Amino acid sequence: MPRIPHVIPVTSRREFLAKSGCGFGALAFSYLLGMDGFFARAAEAPTAVNPLAPKKPHHAAKAKAVIWLFMEGGPSHIDLFDPKPELEKLSGQPMPESFGRPVTAMGTASNTIMAPRRAWKQHGQSGIWVSDWYPLVAHHADDMCVIRSCWADGLNHVGSVCQMNTGDILAGRPAMGAWTTYGLGSSNENLPAFVIMTDAAEVNGGPKNWSSGFLPAVYQGTQFRSEGVPIYHLTPPGSIGRKQQRNKLDLLAALNRHYAADKPEDTELAARLNSYELAYRMQAAAPEAVDLSNESEATKKLYGLDDRETEKFGTNCLLARRLVERGVRFVQCYSGSGSGWDAHSDLEGNHTKYCRQTDKPIAGLLTDLRARGLLDSTLVVWGGEFGRTPFNEKGNGRDHNPWGFTIWMAGGGAKPGTVVGETDEIGLRAVKNRAHVHDLHATILHLLGMDHEKLTYLHNGRDERPTINAGEVIEEALA
Amino acid sequence: MSMLRSLRADTKLFRLRLRSIMVTKSVSSFAALVAGSVFCLEAAAAGPVDDEFEPADRAHWAFQRVIRPDCSVVNHVHWVRNPIDAFVASQLEAKQIEPGPAADKITLIRRAYLDLIGIPPGPGEVDAFLADPSSHAFAKVVDRLLASPHYGERWARHWLDLARFAESEGFKADETRPNAWRYRDYVIKSFNEDKPYDRFVREQIAGDELWPDHPDAMIATAFNRHYPDESNARNLMQRRQEILNDITDTVGAVFTGMTYACARCHDHKYEPILQTDYYRLQAFFANTAARDDVVLTSDQELERYRHRLAAWEKNTREIRAQMEAIEAPKRKALEQEYFEKYPAEIRAILNKPDEERNPFERQMAWKARQYLDPKSHEYVGSSEDVLAKLKGEEKRRWQELKAELDTFAHLHPGKLPLGSAMTDIGNAAPRTHLLAKGVFDQQREEVQPGFLQILAPKPLEVTPPSHLKSTGRRTALAKLLTEPQNPLTARVMVNRIWHYHFGKGIVGTTSDFGLKGDRPTHPPLLDWLASEFIQSGWSIKHLHRLIMASSTYQQSSKHRMEAARIDPENKLLWRFPLCRLEGEAIRDCALAVAGLLNPKMGGPAIFPELPPGMPAPRGGWKVNDDPAERNRRSVYVFVRRNTRYPLFDSFDMPDPHESCSRRNVTTSPIQALNLLNSRLSLEWAQGFAARVLESADGDRQKQIERAFRLAYGRPPDQAEKEIALKFFQGHRSILAHRVADGEELALPSNLPKGLEPIEAATWVDLCHMLINANEFVYRN
Repeated sequence: MPRIPHVIPVTSRREFLAKSGCGFGALAFSYLLGMDGFFARAAEAPTAVNPLAPKKPHHAAKAKAVIWLFMEGGPSHIDLFDPKPELEKLSGQPMPESFGRPVTAMGTASNTIMAPRRAWKQHGQSGIWVSDWYPLVAHHADDMCVIRSCWADGLNHVGSVCQMNTGDILAGRPAMGAWTTYGLGSSNENLPAFVIMTDAAEVNGGPKNWSSGFLPAVYQGTQFRSEGVPIYHLTPPGSIGRKQQRNKLDLLAALNRHYAADKPEDTELAARLNSYELAYRMQAAAPEAVDLSNESEATKKLYGLDDRETEKFGTNCLLARRLVERGVRFVQCYSGSGSGWDAHSDLEGNHTKYCRQTDKPIAGLLTDLRARGLLDSTLVVWGGEFGRTPFNEKGNGRDHNPWGFTIWMAGGGAKPGTVVGETDEIGLRAVKNRAHVHDLHATILHLLGMDHEKLTYLHNGRDERPTINAGEVIEEALA
Repeated sequence: MSMLRSLRADTKLFRLRLRSIMVTKSVSSFAALVAGSVFCLEAAAAGPVDDEFEPADRAHWAFQRVIRPDCSVVNHVHWVRNPIDAFVASQLEAKQIEPGPAADKITLIRRAYLDLIGIPPGPGEVDAFLADPSSHAFAKVVDRLLASPHYGERWARHWLDLARFAESEGFKADETRPNAWRYRDYVIKSFNEDKPYDRFVREQIAGDELWPDHPDAMIATAFNRHYPDESNARNLMQRRQEILNDITDTVGAVFTGMTYACARCHDHKYEPILQTDYYRLQAFFANTAARDDVVLTSDQELERYRHRLAAWEKNTREIRAQMEAIEAPKRKALEQEYFEKYPAEIRAILNKPDEERNPFERQMAWKARQYLDPKSHEYVGSSEDVLAKLKGEEKRRWQELKAELDTFAHLHPGKLPLGSAMTDIGNAAPRTHLLAKGVFDQQREEVQPGFLQILAPKPLEVTPPSHLKSTGRRTALAKLLTEPQNPLTARVMVNRIWHYHFGKGIVGTTSDFGLKGDRPTHPPLLDWLASEFIQSGWSIKHLHRLIMASSTYQQSSKHRMEAARIDPENKLLWRFPLCRLEGEAIRDCALAVAGLLNPKMGGPAIFPELPPGMPAPRGGWKVNDDPAERNRRSVYVFVRRNTRYPLFDSFDMPDPHESCSRRNVTTSPIQALNLLNSRLSLEWAQGFAARVLESADGDRQKQIERAFRLAYGRPPDQAEKEIALKFFQGHRSILAHRVADGEELALPSNLPKGLEPIEAATWVDLCHMLINANEFVYRN
């Protein structure tokens, strides 16, 4: 095998089911049983299983879509969402012996503690602490479920970004967006189901972060560009007009139908014929999805499109909303793509800049989603690949901290106005209700209606699942 | 768990069936084979043994000795051309399925071309085959194709999937590995030479120990050098373990067809692979390390090189000394900065004299040296790094000196040809321990090198070679893998060859011959092929000839309802299966039909155009200036580990982070956009149209015929002629409107004199759709 074309010939469904594993197989099976009726009626007439057809989740889903705001490089949790008064007291001293000396990316563990320079305030009914770096996001405190006890395995960016996306610090596994598309299918095939947008350089590690890994390529993420044509090769070269292309496609369809005439059973050929019609429709659907000309001035302002600093990330956030409205399942917007948030030195300058770039767009997105009634069905996730150390690097920066950091969620069934878990008194390690990346993944999939232990795919002799062989749903984070 | 039980029960039933086929074979030759082998395959027959395995594990088909079965006796005697057909016919007859009719000659020659060399036959080659009435006509075609250097280019790509071949590191920076391409060329050459497979395996596992003076054998060991690597890793203990895991997983999957990887953290849940088996296999590689400075010239050439270099050095000594004075402190600072980032224990190791280091510490030091040795291509203080640190007057002065130095460039002998290899770094290997849950610092009992315990319970006796600084461990493994008694190696490889011919193996799961893998559809055929393979001296080309000479291979792909009713998945091979071409082959075919394919072989990779608007991936992608370079075969396209070439990526080129034995075959609108809208595919159509028009006399009917013959090897039928002619009518008027609106037209790359542009542009569009059509991208 793995011959899983865009449309799977029914002749190989047994194999598809076998690959899909017991749990997920059962749900796919119910879908296929429906096909069986048709199959029986039409005698041996070929029919097909579309791997992107919408599938029933394992359980009732709270979220239909995910918008993941990925602060790449590692935002400092102890300067944003996890206040640590103890750092004031210890400022300028080495870490107390009791914390040990962890191996860090830059060998900084013996450096002195650096106190945050932020002003902290509690916000909303819930009284969630947010620092003055995020004044507008803070207004949404009552929507947020702040998980302060996250931890991860990687020390370096590329492994950690990879793990946050795929569960493993080593490359090669499917991204959560790919698993989601595999598990739930697409609700609008004229657009890719899993979309990635960046605001600066290439994401650390590049496209492997939205790879389908060992899952069929049909589930991999598609990078959308916010300027110009959103997808590579979306439009024909200038010398080919619209009518001309339509006529060519009609010729192609005629040739393909003729070729398939003595292979009536071959649904793979039919799928390929169909893929050109999908591509043709995508040519119209994708530019429409990214065309902001119909958005009101007020909306654009809400996302900060009128300000050069917030325009780029704001545009991506607005596009994310438009894509979700059109049925896209999984959207990732990177802020500081290529390790922008990586403040080894000048934390003050770095985070002031990136918080400013993202504060208004994120607040705008949450406001807009709520106003349109989309927040309940859209899970917004904010976070980086890790947090930052309480001790300084180069006097005014902070090193990587995968042992304890914050991620928050809003909407889509995440428990609003909640804080989950704790780090130690200096924010170095998660100590209470520890939430590993696998737990975050299990939780996100759970909110999407999937059981991370049942969502499996047989690969090299193992029923692979998104959480590898760990992961528990964070019950405290569920509404 | 119940699923597991039923799987095992299935296996048992199957084993009984297999036994009934084979048990009649000569028992005496069986005993003779066993003598002197480390393999302990008679255990299954010997009754209960006191170990972890169950009788069902031991009885698993893939662990039984390969015994050449007798050919089946069948009714379809005229259909049977060789033993392959007898085995296939026998199973078809058992199910009352008629074997398929033969494919027509044009289909057959196209199939053979795409299969063996990955480009379609030209009209002349088709005509010659049609005109040859001899019964050996097809065999001659096969021989010619096997002798073509393009054969190696086509089949190397399959092996490169298995070898997780890439030319960059992966991880964050994805830096280029400047000499990785030599391994690719080695594989091409090996296939072209029909290198015996046992030798091919031995070279890749232990070429450095077995043939230390043979450059090809050194390059071959790079099979284990293709692991992804992180130049910025701090924890070298963990990094080393990850590399060893990669090697263990890959070697296990590729050569033994066993899913070793699952036993890294615990005994395999479904297979009789113990956790100790994982580390026994790993122990063979415990003392290996990358060597990227293998000099690949003869002693005489090296002598000449040194002579020239000395002359250049003499002439430039003064300038270089001045540059060195500027560079040295910066370089030292860069080295120091990198060094300081290592944890204390690594720094301590690096500060020790080499003779005081134990084998494990030597491993650590070697790994760090990759970044701290000025001769390494990954050195952290390279000229570019240093230049980036220079400022103001210093920089100006340096540039001045550099300009002066460049005036002596004509004296410099250039770069010495270097290769990458994987060798041991001494006679003593660090200890290998079983690791609890696979965690690098959770060492448990020590493990010695050895094979799967179910097959060869005892650890291996390893004698270090006297003349080399090497442990000899990999030589022991290479011998073990290529012993004819090894029940896995030959079966796994013949099945891979079968898989690439038919799109599906006799064992569907080509890198999983375990209990949870697919069972063979034709067990005696698999064993017959394995035995034939070994008897032929492990000749892969012999297998191609056998397979392609069979009626099974030469069947039509035509669908037959009465057969499909009984065997809807065509498991018994009542027809030739339709196979979609890989992205690489689609590009090669299109370039060939367009007359653009540059047949130049070997050497450093090429960089064809990226989609417009796509930024160069990290690690770089400098498009070749010369279009002819860009139009070389796909196997030469640079493989950047983190960013596959987008066209190939969309057509399921596997992620080179791990070995891939079976590509997915998916269909997506992204593929369609790529072939429909890319400037490259239009360029192919423009070249193709020019070829259609170059030799025709303006007779549209004849031109349509030529277009079909170029693309598909066959003339169009009446219906297709009508489809094409009808297209011309409608399309010309659309294009005429475009011209009237002042729009440009895409014309053939070479416009014949006097040809009207609208007619010519219509040809481009027709040709464009011919290479987009299903017939073009399927092997029929």
